[in-house]
Amino acid sequence: MKTVYKFATMTVVMFVVMFFVSSFVFSQTATTKEPPTTTTQNLIRGVIGAVSSDNSWSGYSVENILPGAALFPISSTTTVFYFGFTAGTTADISNMVVYTTARGSLTVTAVTPVTLGGSSSPSINLSNTTTCPLAPSAAHPCIVRFDPTTLTMTPSSDYYFMVYFTSDSNNSSIGGAEPSPAQTSIVGNYFGGTDYTRLKVGGVLPGAGNRAPNFLMYVMNN
Amino acid sequence: MKGIFKFATLTLVTSAVLVLGFSQQAAAAAKPLNLVRGVVGPVAANSSWANYSVLNAIPGAGLIPITSANTVFYLGFTAGSTADISNMVLYTTARGSLTITAATPVKLGGVSNPSINLASPSVCPIVEISTFNPCSVRLDPVAVSLSALNDYYLVVFFTNDSNNSTIGATVPRFPLSSLNGWFIGGTDETRIAVGGSIPAGNSGAQPYFLMYVMSN
Repeated sequence: MKTVYKFATMTVVMFVVMFFVSSFVFSQTATTKEPPTTTTQNLIRGVIGAVSSDNSWSGYSVENILPGAALFPISSTTTVFYFGFTAGTTADISNMVVYTTARGSLTVTAVTPVTLGGSSSPSINLSNTTTCPLAPSAAHPCIVRFDPTTLTMTPSSDYYFMVYFTSDSNNSSIGGAEPSPAQTSIVGNYFGGTDYTRLKVGGVLPGAGNRAPNFLMYVMNN
Repeated sequence: MKGIFKFATLTLVTSAVLVLGFSQQAAAAAKPLNLVRGVVGPVAANSSWANYSVLNAIPGAGLIPITSANTVFYLGFTAGSTADISNMVLYTTARGSLTITAATPVKLGGVSNPSINLASPSVCPIVEISTFNPCSVRLDPVAVSLSALNDYYLVVFFTNDSNNSTIGATVPRFPLSSLNGWFIGGTDETRIAVGGSIPAGNSGAQPYFLMYVMSN
């Protein structure tokens, strides 16, 4: 009888161990595979296919909207923006921010600074081959990667990436990549003459999107 | 001793049931997933493809963040009885670049130059294929894991023969997919070596033939 109890105990232990091991191992495969955090992934459908060039941005606020409804189901604690330049030698940016709103609302609920090389007001040397291996053009847009922001996007919010281009002669000759609206989930708009990057929480954005994005090509986790 | 054998048997049977059950769960997890937004909505037809190279771009910017060791392409036919393919290849480039960094053969039934019998019900269950009933042909899985930092180009060269004069390609009626397509007549563009350039012509039009890009 003692041996029987031994086997009974062993059986119970085996069940418990098997249950936990199987739960762990199979839960890894049974759920939809979430990519490892080290993999560079799209957070939203970026610009696909050919782009055209939209030029002369001196004194313009460029608004690019990342609709929460279009976000891929991937969680990331960082958000990285990539701009595409199609013309110019130097781009002077006065300020850059991401506004968060509730989905479908224009009221700002959070403001996140965006930087390049640690600065929110960078001058980007587009004639430098380390920045742009090829001279910017519509056929070969120069892709500039901004610093990662500590922004975790959720589908229940919308995000407005606002960049104000300084009113100067450099920016009169820069060009931004512009796809057809069907080639991306990003929506664009722009406003001349006003720096809209200084809104506070509770402020209201100047408008929703009404066209294809300008400059913004990719939004990724890295 | 009899009791011991009973317990041993019970343990073995239970283990077998558990392992089998969970393996089914794992198999279910391997169901096909979209790697990019494919063709949605109704399709139109574009016919007569003898001696044409068909190029379809799978932009890295359009990839859905799912990791898959394999990539499976599905071609859609709207007309014809036999499609003769001379060669199929998948080119890889860095994102936004046209310079080819890798060329991977694409096959159907183990060959890169298949003849597809569109009149066979085992290939196209609805025999009278049309824009209403396109025939979707699943190519062999390609051992390429797509990366958002690359762009990919599936290129198919249709043999210059009478069969291909009557075949039709699916073309989305609405520009809703993340795929782009174009074609080049008279040249086999599937033989470009690494370091070569993707042929010009991508104007952002919707894809020809290519309907889905999936994990399985």
